[in-house]
Amino acid sequence: MKFTHLIFLISIVLGFSGCSLKNVQEPSDIFQYQEKGDELLDEFENELKAEEIYDPFGGYNRVMTSFNDGVYEYFLKPVSKGYKAVVHEEIRISVGNFFNNIYFPQRFVNNLLQGKFKNASEETGRFVINTTIGILGLFDPAKSYFKLVEHKEDFGQTLGFYGVGSGPHIVLPLFGPSNLRDALSLYPDSLLSPVDYDDRSYWTLTDTWLEYTAVRTYEYVNTNSLDIERYEEMKKDAVDLYPFLRDIYEQYRDNQIKE
Amino acid sequence: MNKIFKKALLLFSILVFAQSLVADDKVELKEHFLKKIDEVVLIVKDNSLSKNDRNGNIIKSLSPMFDFELMAKLSLGNTWKQLASNDREKFIDLYVERMKQSYSSKIDAYKDEKVEVKEIQQPKNNRIALLTDLVSKEEKLEIVYKFYKPKKKKSDKDIWLIYDVEILGVSILKADKAQFKEFLQTKNISELMDVLAKRS
Repeated sequence: MKFTHLIFLISIVLGFSGCSLKNVQEPSDIFQYQEKGDELLDEFENELKAEEIYDPFGGYNRVMTSFNDGVYEYFLKPVSKGYKAVVHEEIRISVGNFFNNIYFPQRFVNNLLQGKFKNASEETGRFVINTTIGILGLFDPAKSYFKLVEHKEDFGQTLGFYGVGSGPHIVLPLFGPSNLRDALSLYPDSLLSPVDYDDRSYWTLTDTWLEYTAVRTYEYVNTNSLDIERYEEMKKDAVDLYPFLRDIYEQYRDNQIKE
Repeated sequence: MNKIFKKALLLFSILVFAQSLVADDKVELKEHFLKKIDEVVLIVKDNSLSKNDRNGNIIKSLSPMFDFELMAKLSLGNTWKQLASNDREKFIDLYVERMKQSYSSKIDAYKDEKVEVKEIQQPKNNRIALLTDLVSKEEKLEIVYKFYKPKKKKSDKDIWLIYDVEILGVSILKADKAQFKEFLQTKNISELMDVLAKRS
C-alpha cells in the first residue's frame, strides 16, 4: 500500500511539473510515426508545402536580378569597400543611426495604422531621446540606456496586416526584390519620408529624383559597408540566384507581417 | 475493494508518469542543444587551432544533431522519388558537403554573440521547434531550429534531429526547394549536381 502511494505521489509531482511546459497532445499524433522511406518524406512534404509564389513576370524578373547583381558587383561593392577603408566604423554607424532616426514618421504611422500603440509610443520615445540626447539621431542612447528597441513597419506590412495579398513578385531596378503590394506601398511611405523624390509643400531633405537617388545610394553604401559579407554569403547558397532571392524575400516579408 | 483501488491508483500513476516523460522531451532537448552551443563556443574561442581544424571540429560536434540526409531528400521534393539510386547517393553527398561548408563559413563570422532559447514549441509528438535569438551588441537575430524524432534512433545521431533552420522567418529548406525546383524545370539533375559540385 505504501509503495503504491509513493508511486502515486512521485508521478503526480512529475506530472504537474511537466504540465506547465507541455502542449496538449492529440492522441492521433502518437500513431503518426511512419518511417518507411517515402512515407516519412510524404509526411514532411505536407509540412513544407510552400505556397507557389505568383510570378507572371518571371522572365523580366530574372533579367532585372542579373542587372541588379551586376550593379552590386561592379559598382556598389567596390564603392562600399573603398568607403569602408576610408571612413571609420564609428562614423558609419552614426550615419546609419541618423538615417534610421529620420525615418521615424514612417514607422510611427504604420505602427499606429496596425493598432500597435505600445510600439508607436516606444518609437516616439526613441525619436525624442535620440534626436536630443543622441544629437540629431547620430547616436542611439534610447537603445543602449533606455532599452527601447526599434519597431520597423512600412506600408506594405500595414496592407499585409489587413490581409492584402502580395500580388505578383516584381524585381525593381536597384531596389531589388519586391512585389506589387510592396512596390505600390513605396509611394505612401515616401510621403512620410524626408528622403523622397518629389517637391513637397513641407520640408524634405531631397526634392528631385537625382537628389533622392544620390542620398539613397549613399545610405545604401553606408549600410552595406557595415556588413559587406552579408550578400556574398547569401549568394554562396544560391544555385539559381533569382528564385532563391525571390523565395527569401517573400518568406521574409510574410514573417515580418505576422509579427 | 482495496485491490481495485490499488490497481486504479497504479494505472492512474502510470498515465500521469507517461505524460510527464513526454513533457521532459522539450526540456531535455533544450538542455542538450545549449550544451552543444557551449561546446561550439569553446571550439570557436580556441585560438590554438587552425581555421580548418576549427571548422572541422565544429562540424564534428554539430553533425550528430543534424539530419543533412533528410534535408537533401526534402530539398528535391517529388524529384527525389524519380532519382536512380546512384544519383541519390551522389546528390546526398554533394548536398551534405554544401551544407557543412555553408555552416562553417557562417560560424566563422561568429564573434561574441549569445544564443538564447526564448520558446519551445511542440506542434506534434515527434516535432519540436526551438525558437532562439542570436544576440549580439547590435541586434537580435531570430533563428528557429526544427527537430523531428525518427522512429528508430540512428546509430551515429542524436535522438532528436534538426531538419530545417529558419533565419528571420526564412526557411533554408524551403528556399532550397524553390530554387532547385525552378532549376530543374529547364535543366536536369546532373546539371544541378555539377553546379553543387562547383560550389563546394
